[in-house]
Amino acid sequence: MAAPAIMLENLTVAYDRHPALRHICGCFEPGSLTAIVGPNGAGKSTLLKAVVGLLDPAEGCVRCASADRRRDLAYLPQQAEIDRSFPISVMDTVAAGAWRDIGVLGGIASGMRRRIVDALSAVGLDGFERRSVGSLSAGQFQRVLFARMLLQSAPIILLDEPFTAIDARTTADLLALVQRWHGEARTVVAVLHDIEQVRQYFPQTLLLARKLIAWGLTGEVLTSANLRVMRRMSESWDEDAELCARAAV
Amino acid sequence: MASLHLTIVAPFQDYGFMRRALVACFALSIGSGPIGVLLLLRRMSLVGDALSHAVLPGAAVGFLVAGLSLWGMTTGGFVAGLIVAMLAGAVSRNTALREDASFAGFYLASLALGVLLVSTHGSNIDLLHILFGTILAVDNTALYLVGGIASVSTLVLLAIYRPLVLECFDPGFLRAVGGRGSIYHLIFLVLVVLNLVAGFQALGTLMAVGLMMLPAAASRFWANEVWTMALVAIAVGFLSGFLGLVASYRFGLPSGPAIVLAASLFYVASILVGRRNGLLRQHWPARHLAA
Amino acid sequence: MNRLVGVLVALSWLAAAAPAFASDLKVVASFTVLADMVKQVGGNSVDVRSLVGPNGDPHAYEPTPQDAAALSRADLIFVSGLGLEGWMDRLISASGTKGTIVVATQGIRTRDMEEDGKLITDPHAWNSAANGVIFAQNITAALVKADPRHAANYEANGAKYEDELRGLDAWARAEVAQVSAAKRKIITSHDAFGYLGAAYGIEFHAPVGFSTDFEPSAAGVAGLIDQIRREKIKAVFLENSNDPRLIEQIAAATGAKLGGTLYAEALSEPDGPASTYAKMFRYNIETLVAGMRAN
Repeated sequence: MAAPAIMLENLTVAYDRHPALRHICGCFEPGSLTAIVGPNGAGKSTLLKAVVGLLDPAEGCVRCASADRRRDLAYLPQQAEIDRSFPISVMDTVAAGAWRDIGVLGGIASGMRRRIVDALSAVGLDGFERRSVGSLSAGQFQRVLFARMLLQSAPIILLDEPFTAIDARTTADLLALVQRWHGEARTVVAVLHDIEQVRQYFPQTLLLARKLIAWGLTGEVLTSANLRVMRRMSESWDEDAELCARAAV
Repeated sequence: MASLHLTIVAPFQDYGFMRRALVACFALSIGSGPIGVLLLLRRMSLVGDALSHAVLPGAAVGFLVAGLSLWGMTTGGFVAGLIVAMLAGAVSRNTALREDASFAGFYLASLALGVLLVSTHGSNIDLLHILFGTILAVDNTALYLVGGIASVSTLVLLAIYRPLVLECFDPGFLRAVGGRGSIYHLIFLVLVVLNLVAGFQALGTLMAVGLMMLPAAASRFWANEVWTMALVAIAVGFLSGFLGLVASYRFGLPSGPAIVLAASLFYVASILVGRRNGLLRQHWPARHLAA
Repeated sequence: MNRLVGVLVALSWLAAAAPAFASDLKVVASFTVLADMVKQVGGNSVDVRSLVGPNGDPHAYEPTPQDAAALSRADLIFVSGLGLEGWMDRLISASGTKGTIVVATQGIRTRDMEEDGKLITDPHAWNSAANGVIFAQNITAALVKADPRHAANYEANGAKYEDELRGLDAWARAEVAQVSAAKRKIITSHDAFGYLGAAYGIEFHAPVGFSTDFEPSAAGVAGLIDQIRREKIKAVFLENSNDPRLIEQIAAATGAKLGGTLYAEALSEPDGPASTYAKMFRYNIETLVAGMRAN
């Protein structure tokens, strides 16, 4: 078997000494399609950000099989983190996906223009190149961000709540795209809330509530017992915890 | 027609100082317009104001060391502005203090130091008169300086345009794909200081910030991409300079305030009738597209 | 033994001398020109302090706490008056001084000047040496009254100083008379020479208004350039508390020569060309005459 795409070794991430994630161990296999599920505040986004490298672990580490993690990772942040009123065209937004190919100085060459038009077509936004991002609906904007990831064409794709507040039609189209990536043997990880959606489309699941509850085949992870544990954990989070004994070692 | 010619063209034909002032306005608009747009989009509108005051002690030191020398004062102002920009940036990155607050802290300290230097060192000559230039006194050397800064600023902005815009729009993405956002931010701050120094040589600090931020704010109502906004801001800046100078000539108004007031008029007009979200447009929307 | 006597004598001499120092008249003057005049008349028996320093602008001054302290200790306070030192009234009342306030322009025939379309009294009276004589008389009278012990001394100094100033006045008239009447025109950045112009027959034009606090308009600058071209004035002067760059611009536009610096409202540093009122007046007249010859 190939080396794991991403390996988490005792990963602990803290905000101002309060751990948001504790001692996560495990790996995402190459070509796997994994859903991350957990209650609000479980550390799902934190986990993705740590993998992308936007947050530094307080302890442990993230290992990546590729030599160039930044080239091989595509990351979709939560929509709320982007200022959608920013005056930028759909074309330029998608082009950012090929930022390295365009480079610092370059303009958008005709080959690149072709790729952008194709990517927009693939997400169902034919002819949207000249539109301003501010004129798009939430669903259309999410499609634009997926087109940007198409341009990145990275082997590892991390999605933070890709379908939250997105209409059903867009969700279906974008899920099809996720399935296509899976078919192309890319490693895909998505933070999701809809348990039914997870059961239907995602073979692997990581159940998280600040610490790892279960990680494996979706059918074995999303048991009613595990979901109960998860809910109980979320109700009993202690904000004034003592210093972690394991962390002190 | 003849009277229009007399009002608008004749003063520039007849007087070298009017031509130099106009060219200085044009150069300032080219440099400051795009910088103002980016400051606006980064929600740093008041940072320009803060930095313009931070320039004061440097220019004062430059004056005390080199006398009334354009280069001495420019270098001093540039160094002082840069120090404040770097310190404020470093503090906001490494502590919980937000960028605007740390800018406010450092610029107030810098301004106080400037006033202290001006009022206690050397002769009590009215240094403020010299520190706050008037556009009517722009000579060829100052014109070269302002033009040079506008050129450098434009070239550098073109070179870092994509990452800079991306860093405003979606900083998380830029960092995730390995662009070092803070480098571009730093280069950008250097450009802000450079343009403010150019502006304060020509217009004085208050006026320099006016010609930087007002056209940028107006451009938001007309354009929906960063580069088109920058072009609109340049045009508004240039028109303000032109109309301000004509008004100053025609009605005997002080030229700096006349120029900035002209820019304010463009700003107010844009709020009212701007194509994008102007108040009148919201009440009487244009006919929508068919699809 | 002899040494001991010597020390005792020295000590007693010191003891006698010390009160003499302490009884020096403490005088504060608002600005350097006035301070120098007081020094000339008072000689060694007054201790003069000027609030505004050399090259400083007496219209706009930011007083320091030391200034208030000096005022509160002062026996005599000289101001020029006629609205020159607008900042001084509040400073005087704030210092709670018991000193006598002397207005040095008492008895001068004032001129009116236009400022912002209003007629105001021109405060720059000292720029005519004839007025300087009146300043000197007022100062002498005030010192005699405040310190009668040294009256003879003050009157002798005052008389000598008045003679010097009268001599300067006559000399200035003769100098200016050598320039033909049509050429007696000057451009300078400050209207501080109204009395000088009236006394010696020189016309002064300025691009900036009466005081130093305005930003110029394009119309004003253009009008002045037209005037220079029309009247063929080549004598353009910088004034030492204003923005010289504007004047340089106008000079360059018209081919006029920069005649040099004039000292209008403040003395130069001690090593400069206008370290006393008499030197300042002589320097200004020489510079003006040299400039007007080029017209």
